[in-house]
Amino acid sequence: MDGIHDLGGMHGFGPVPIETGDYVFKAQWQRRAFALAELLGSPVPYSADQHRQEIERMPAADYLKLDYFEKWIVGAEALLLQAGLVSEEELRTGRKLFDVDVARHPKVDAGNLIATMRAGAQLDFPDDAQKPRFTAGQNVRVTKDSPSGHTRSPRYLRGRAGQVVAGHGVFQFADAVAAGRGPEPQHCYTVAFTAGELWGRDAEAADMIHADLWESYLEPA
Amino acid sequence: MPHDHDDHDHDHDHDPLEQGPSLRVRALEELMVAKGLIDPVALDRIVEYYERETGPRNGAKVVARAWLEPDFRDWLLRDGTAAIHAMGFTGYQGEHMRVVANTPKLHNVIVCTLCSCYPWPVLGLPPAWYKGAAYRSRVVREPRAVLKEFGLEIGTDIEIKVWDSTAEIRYMVLPMRPADTEAFTLDQLAGLVTRDGMIGTARL
Repeated sequence: MDGIHDLGGMHGFGPVPIETGDYVFKAQWQRRAFALAELLGSPVPYSADQHRQEIERMPAADYLKLDYFEKWIVGAEALLLQAGLVSEEELRTGRKLFDVDVARHPKVDAGNLIATMRAGAQLDFPDDAQKPRFTAGQNVRVTKDSPSGHTRSPRYLRGRAGQVVAGHGVFQFADAVAAGRGPEPQHCYTVAFTAGELWGRDAEAADMIHADLWESYLEPA
Repeated sequence: MPHDHDDHDHDHDHDPLEQGPSLRVRALEELMVAKGLIDPVALDRIVEYYERETGPRNGAKVVARAWLEPDFRDWLLRDGTAAIHAMGFTGYQGEHMRVVANTPKLHNVIVCTLCSCYPWPVLGLPPAWYKGAAYRSRVVREPRAVLKEFGLEIGTDIEIKVWDSTAEIRYMVLPMRPADTEAFTLDQLAGLVTRDGMIGTARL
């Protein structure tokens, strides 16, 4: 969707609010919010793409104003509501008004948690599942498609020509996963764009911008 | 929005001074535990795990090893996923890794313009600015101006490559080894590597 989250190339956000030092949570509630959003993906269930989609759907003003981890909670709450696991009133009060079928929505067991996190998610598929349409060195153009749902084709690259620098094999397709259609696996490529192609005469220098793009975002150029 | 942050008059028994997101998160946590959707022990463990076991110290070990072992460096740049996983740095947001090397003629910098994709196992959770609108909007359009704000001036004889993490691959920059470190041990070298050096917003 062409939402506020798709920030690449926008003007008007001022200097980067730089902070040095390794990451630390600034408030205890941010720790809890992070952990809640991570853990709820299993029982609800939801994927990272579905969670991102809910964050993208929030009003643009809220997206810019809310703390990062509050946005994660907004996303998790939306997915809990959609799954019928909570009511608005329950979210408002924190008080349970009805039970859920925990056999159908099993919680993450603390004992297996670390092993599960270390294992990571299965995001790719055997390469021989399908033939790649593009190869390294090939010129491609990003389609102008502007879907209303979740997509990982950023606006600043749509319609622009670039060159495939690497194929990465077959991955689950974010647009399909977020829409609840399943993985719909397809090839994914790293594509290089010149700064001049993206920003014209306003390009800062002869630099290169790279993005990882699924096959259906691309057409031969 | 499920509830209004400015309205705390509703019926609940939380501390009336607890405001906004803090109250919202606590309400959700209590509700999820009451419904049996969350094990509170798991909640504590996940925070401990990310705070103690992930972070830029992991990435620093990868970088230091690449500086010391040319074979490892080749492997890391050819198949970042396998080389990093072989060091035990696996898990969410690190399933597929690509490492890009800085040279005297090339400077790399990573971003996620669409959200906040970042290689958690090797760098930990991203700094607030990495997730914010200014960095995400600007680094693909004016990387040199952004890097200058970090105190990093990139000469016109050096090419910049920006890597926007738009799919499932996560990026890490392999910084150049600082001069006069020939006698350094692995641990001493790792101690020189900073988070920003591996994002590409700093030189070492």
